[in-house]
Amino acid sequence: MTPEPGAAVARAFREEWGQIVATLIGVTGDWDLAEECAQDAFALALERWPRDGIPRRAGAWLTTVARNRATDRLRREAVGAAKLREAAVLSPPDVPGDDDAGSGVGDDRLRLMFTCCHPALALEAQVALTLRTLAGLSTAEIARAFLVPEATMSKRLVRAKHKIRHAGIPYRVPPAHLLPERTTAVLGVLYLLFNERGTRPPTAPT
Amino acid sequence: MRYMLLICGDESSAEHAADDSVMAGCGGWAEEMERRGVLQAAAGLRPPSDATTVRVRGDRVLLSDGPFAETKEQIGGYCLIECADLDEAIEVASKHAWAKVGMIEVRPLWEP
Repeated sequence: MTPEPGAAVARAFREEWGQIVATLIGVTGDWDLAEECAQDAFALALERWPRDGIPRRAGAWLTTVARNRATDRLRREAVGAAKLREAAVLSPPDVPGDDDAGSGVGDDRLRLMFTCCHPALALEAQVALTLRTLAGLSTAEIARAFLVPEATMSKRLVRAKHKIRHAGIPYRVPPAHLLPERTTAVLGVLYLLFNERGTRPPTAPT
Repeated sequence: MRYMLLICGDESSAEHAADDSVMAGCGGWAEEMERRGVLQAAAGLRPPSDATTVRVRGDRVLLSDGPFAETKEQIGGYCLIECADLDEAIEVASKHAWAKVGMIEVRPLWEP
């Protein structure tokens, strides 16, 4: 029996969202663009998979769609040329372990996790950003978890993303000598994430 | 990226400015950062009591004696540094002797 496409998309969302966003940030260096293109990819999956069947490697399919989408959008934008140049500089080299050689850990999601949990961001912003970019919770869901209005949470997320870009918070797993202090923050956020996962009802992709 | 390190403190930390060990460490810091190519400019500021605040309203230049903000925390100096990212800037700031007695605010410069 073939799995139902809607359920397959929901499952891929739970399993792949963080990886796709992490990869796209690595490629484009633009957090908002990464999230939007990941959303577009899932929207396309909802349309295509019932018609064409579920791809064997759903994560790869979604990543490719999201990446193509990002490339298209960067090209189309007036500032596209400049951003592509920027992306070429920002995107981590494909040589394995180059950037993360010092820490011995190499995974896009881990890179994203450590960046979200950078101590130069307020703890609340760290948690909210991780829930948004890695776990794929909507702003409304995160606002509910924090007991604040959605507009407040939306502002907090925008501010955190701006700070990452403008203050030069690096997109990487920190080098070995910084790992001990940085890992505490990541573990704290993981713990909160785990709690949040435990209390919320399962959600379908939006 | 360029960052401005704002050397901040209140009057109690200002007492340490006269402390030789802090000043000596500060000198070592500047030499190390120059050698690394990080430090672009740095200076200490005379106290706020020597400040003059300038405003232009309409076509009149208004002057007042003293700092713009009457706060306990004051900026006592600045260092302009060039770093790869915020992690390096934090590392550089935390090595500054003043970080042990006062505070250092790390502000990225507005760059196109």
